[in-house]
This record gives sequence, structure tokens and C-alpha cells, in this order.
Amino acid sequence: MSAERIVVDPVTRIEGHLRIEAMLGEDKRINEALSSGTMWRGLETILKGRDPRDAWAFAERICGVCTSIHAIASVRAVEDAVGIEIPANAERIRNIIYLTQVIQDHVIHFYHLHALDWVDVVSALSADPKATAELAQTVSPHWPLATPGYFSDMAATLKRFVESGQLGIFANAYWGHPAYKLPPEANLMAVAHYLEALKWQKDVVKIHTVFGGKNPHPNFVVGGMPCSIDLDSDNAINIERLNLVREQILRAAEIVEQLYYPDLLAIAGFYPEWAEIGGGVPNYLAYGEVPRNSIRDVDSFRMPRGAVLDRDLSRIHEVDPKDPQQIGEEVSRSWYRYPDGTTRLHPSVGITEPQYDGPAPPYRHLDENGSYSWIKTPRWRNHAMEVGPLARLVVGYAAGDAEIKEVVGEALAALKLPAAALFSTLGRTAARALETRLASRWLMDEFDALLANLRNGDTATSDTRLWEPSSWPADCSGFGSCEAPRGALGHWVHIKDGKIANYQAVVPTTWNASPKGEDGSRGAYEESLLGTPVHDPQQPLEILRTVHSFDPCLACASHVYGPDGRKLSTVQVR
Amino acid sequence: MSDVAPVLVLGLGNLLLTDDGVGLALLERLAAEPLDGVEYLDGGTQGLALCGRLVGRRALILLDCLAFGAAPGTVHVLDDPLRHAPPRSGSAHEANAGELLRAALLLGDLPERVVLVGVEPDQLRTRIGLSEPVEQALPTAEAAARRVLESLTVTLPVTEPDPCASPSR
Repeated sequence: MSAERIVVDPVTRIEGHLRIEAMLGEDKRINEALSSGTMWRGLETILKGRDPRDAWAFAERICGVCTSIHAIASVRAVEDAVGIEIPANAERIRNIIYLTQVIQDHVIHFYHLHALDWVDVVSALSADPKATAELAQTVSPHWPLATPGYFSDMAATLKRFVESGQLGIFANAYWGHPAYKLPPEANLMAVAHYLEALKWQKDVVKIHTVFGGKNPHPNFVVGGMPCSIDLDSDNAINIERLNLVREQILRAAEIVEQLYYPDLLAIAGFYPEWAEIGGGVPNYLAYGEVPRNSIRDVDSFRMPRGAVLDRDLSRIHEVDPKDPQQIGEEVSRSWYRYPDGTTRLHPSVGITEPQYDGPAPPYRHLDENGSYSWIKTPRWRNHAMEVGPLARLVVGYAAGDAEIKEVVGEALAALKLPAAALFSTLGRTAARALETRLASRWLMDEFDALLANLRNGDTATSDTRLWEPSSWPADCSGFGSCEAPRGALGHWVHIKDGKIANYQAVVPTTWNASPKGEDGSRGAYEESLLGTPVHDPQQPLEILRTVHSFDPCLACASHVYGPDGRKLSTVQVR
Repeated sequence: MSDVAPVLVLGLGNLLLTDDGVGLALLERLAAEPLDGVEYLDGGTQGLALCGRLVGRRALILLDCLAFGAAPGTVHVLDDPLRHAPPRSGSAHEANAGELLRAALLLGDLPERVVLVGVEPDQLRTRIGLSEPVEQALPTAEAAARRVLESLTVTLPVTEPDPCASPSR
């Protein structure tokens, strides 16, 4: 029996809104949850009839953060459809752009968004700079900025911000909430590292600028990468520019190993109870990523493809995104219509026809027995799946990947937690950091592989033999994926007579934030909130912790309602 | 980073969402007749990722869609938008633009002068292209942005060669 209700609503139909409604039981724990959102579902209408070679430039605009991720999925889909194998250098460069994006995104997610769910900025004001320096030196012995003077300056800067009322960037939290457990010194250290991470991310995007030309919207091309490389030329990407890339890769590794990972371990150590909260659906899906060879050679992926069901790490299930029996999208709980008699469609033949039958906005709460979301319900072989860093690590672990097992084992040992702790809010947050460690190693590997290839005299970056649509089959279909920082992203394209006949993208947040299925099964966000204790419905910090642990690609406005539908609070979740 | 143009004109918005893309349409018009010392950048819907592009600038002009509730096509010019009440922007990247400015402030990278030129939207839905009232407002908005640009004293720019230009079709 629900005692209080916590709600989330698409304020407008534009991209960027997520609504969570959570019902609180008498025991102050969530006993039911609904996830609703607006998702980018208009791509197909924009792309239909266009030249498939231009699709990436539109796809790149779908998401404000994942520009190159969508572009990569798009060019891969078109290349798959028309049968283009891209040169080895192009594969390496795409991997470099991809991994750079993952590292930047994960670090920023942790410090800028998620850390504030665990770190109390106001408490940092009462920290002792000397004790903070000692703590920082213990947490990360090789990080140079750990003197009492540094932390004293940091505290002064922070104080100035708080007193001037310009908390701004830090304004969006519940300072003083009893669920914050870090001592003031750990809070000050984390705030200082937040600023260091913010400074660092200004430079790391230079890697994208070198290979993709303009940032923030790098150039891509069907058939490879649109950049010329000549180690000795002034008019191409030369050794000088590549050295700049190497510098940034080394710097990124330093940030990950000496700042992000130690901070993750230090903060996680104060919140062991969150290793038992927020697990959610027990099924994990990854398309896999970072091919050592070609994207066609799935066995060469550094991050394996596959599915794990019921948290059974002894068995990995084969995933084929093109198999119509595997992935299907339902709309029974969404504001869309399928032709009569159809309950589920594979994305390659997906239909997006809106049919809004919800209440007129602004409304108090969703109809939990009817349709309640602009997000469809994707399922893999009838199962609700979680996608993202945790899913990727779980699949890699089940696949027996030695490197993945090593970083997972090391972190669990450091935190003195069993493997089952992975299936939680804390596990999800830790998985992101572990994946970032792997990504920074792989980034250097990929860079070295590119350089070795160039030194062997192979400078090809694109293959234009199948550039002209006249060289393509008259009717062809393709799939392209990219493991976005938030999870598995798939693009399906159908090309007829050189033009796009149908285009569907299933983005990671569609998997994680999906409403219930035809069979009543909850989506990953919904399931993960069950059993979560909420200390104060006015300040549902606990909900933010779990929802943020998924790194939603939607901004989220959450409203907390009392049992009579009376609004208790409105919470802006970034 | 000292070789950046002293003025950055930053277009923001999503060109797939009708009037949300007005900042990018404005950017295109302004960049068609570029001024010395000014860099023109399509920021899309990025937020923090644009932080690095603000470093070393003396002035920043933001071009954006801005929903203050006035008639569609109304042009707003806000000097120092961070000091105003937070703009109640109806655009999809509202949080991002604000976050960008606040992060720059925190890092000491906020240019001395920040001006926002915004246009009231009529439609925000999935389609490429502007609505009629917003399209008609472009010359007014462009003139407003040019007046702001001309009021700034700028030094000569240094342009970098770009080895990764688009392939020719």
C-alpha cells in the first residue's frame, strides 16, 4: 500500500526530460516506480529520403553530448548495408575518438554530476586543510596537488563562491542531508578534484580536433575518416600533431589513475550499504566495442558482445542485433501506435507513430495502468535489459576476458566486497571508473597501433571504391552500433535506390529508462528503485543516487507527491 | 592558447528542433561576412565540452533560442546574462548554456564581456527549418549581433590551418 508518491514528467516534448514516479511504502522504501521520458524519436522522419552518406551529420545532432558516438554508429550502419570495409587506420582513429569520448564523459559524469550525490560541498567548508592534505596523500600518493597550502586556497575559493551566492554549479543538491557520510576533509578533497577534472577536460578534446577537424562536431565519412595523415607533411596530420595526441593520452591516464579511480575507491568506502541497493533488472546487454581488427570481426572486440541473464556469470548468450527474434520494441505502455495485431517490432522495420492518450500537461501523475512514456520498451528475447558500463563489464567478465576480470577483481579486493556487490548502485558507479581505466589503456594501445601502421607505410584513411550509390545494391539494410558512454547504441538503416527508406536508432536510455513491457516487466530504472529507502521525500537524494548511477542522457525533472496527489516538492535532476 | 581570436561568437541550439536552431542560423549569417578578430563556432547542444573554447577570449557572444514568453520572433539582447536572473530558456540545452558559463566563471575563464542575443521561438518540434516569425526575425537579430560586435574593440585574429577539412564531394 503506497503511502506517498514521487513523480517525474516530460514538461515539454523536447529532448531532455525524464520523469520518475516512485511510490513510498509505510516503511519509507520505494515499492513501485514508473519511468517516463521524451526521447529522440523523430530521426526517421528527418532522415527518410536523404542520402545515406549524409546521415551521420544529422545523427550527430541527436545528442548534445554523444555527437561522435552517434556519428560512428551511423557510418557503421551505412557501411554495413552497402558492404564497405574501412581501412585499418580509420578503424584505429575511430577507436581513438571513441575512447577519448568515453574517458572525458565518465570523468565528467563522476565529478560534475554524480559526485555531488555523495559529496557535501558545504561540509567541505569546515575541513582542515592540513588533514585534507594528509588524506589526499594517502588516497593518491603520486598526485602532486596535495599540500595544505593547495587545500587552504581551495577552501578559500569555495568559501568565496558560497558567500557570493554564486554556488551556481553546486547549487543543485541537498547539502546537510543525513545520507551524506563523508568527513569534511574527504568532501574538500573531492571538490578540489572536481575543479581539476573540469580544468583537464578543456584540453582532452584536442584529440578530437586533431582527428575529426572541428570540435564539437567532428567530421566523419562513410568509408573511413576524412583526414589525411602524413608523418612528414605540413599539410596533413603529421608527427607533431600526433605527439600532441600522445601527450593528451598520457595526461588522461594520469587523471584516471591518480584522481578518478582513487577518489572512487575512497568515496565508495564510506557507502558500503549502497552495494546492496539499486541492483535492478538482473539482465545485461552489450553490443561490444573497440575492435582490434575490423568492426566486422566481433571476436576482436576489446569489450565483448553478448548478454548475461539472471546475473549468471557462468554463461554468456550470443547477441545478434540483426536477428528479428532477438531485439524487439513494444509500445503497449508508450504513446505510440503499431498496426493492429503487432505488439513488437524489430528496429530494422521499426515504426514511430505518436498516439498521445495521456493527460493534458501539466498533470499531477501518470496513469500507471495505461501508457505513460514517450520512450518505447525494447526487450532482448523478452527480457528487460540494463545497458552501460556495468553491463559491459558483466558481459566481459562472463566472457572470461582476463583484463576485465583483473580490474574488477582489484577493485572488489580494495573495497573488500564480494562479486555480488557489482549488481548495485555502487557497483554501477564503480563499473564506470573501472571501464575508464581500461579505456585509457586501450587508448594508448590504439594510438601505438595507428603509429606502427603509419610507420609501415600504410597511410590510407578511407576507401572510396563504393562511394557512389550506383555501386550499391538497389535494396540493402545495415546495422551499426557504438557503445555510448551510457550504453549500447544501435542504428538500423534500410537503403533503397541510394536513398534512406527507413532509419531507427535505439539509444541506451531507451533500454534503461523504458516503461513496463507488455508482460508487466519493469524497465531498468524502475526495477532499480524498488526497495530504496527514502529518508525525506522532500529531498529524495537516494533516488538521485540510483538514477544518476545510470548516467541518464535526459535531464530530469522530478516531482514528489503525497498520497492524496498533493505536490510535496519538485526536484530538478540534471 | 594565447593565439585564439579575442572574440568568440558561439551559436547554440539543435538544428533538428525547428526554432531551437535559430542560434545556428544566425551564426551562419554572421559568419558569411566574417570580421577580423572574431571566431565563429557552432556549439550545437554542447555544454561543458565547450569550456576550452572560452579560454583566452575577451568577449563572448552567445546566439540562442530564448523563451521569455514574448511574441515569437522577438529579439532579446542580454548584456552579462549570468548577472541577470537565470534566463528561463525554453530550449533543450538550457542547462548546458548556463552550466557552461558557470563552469567558466568557476575556472576563471569567463570573458570580460558576455552578451546573449536570443530569439523567441514559435515551435520546438522535430523538423529542420525555422518557423515563419523566427525566420523573419533573422535580419533584426543579425543587425543586433553586428552592433554588439562593432562595439567591441578587437585585435587581429590568428587563424590555424585545418588539416581535417571536409572531403570534397
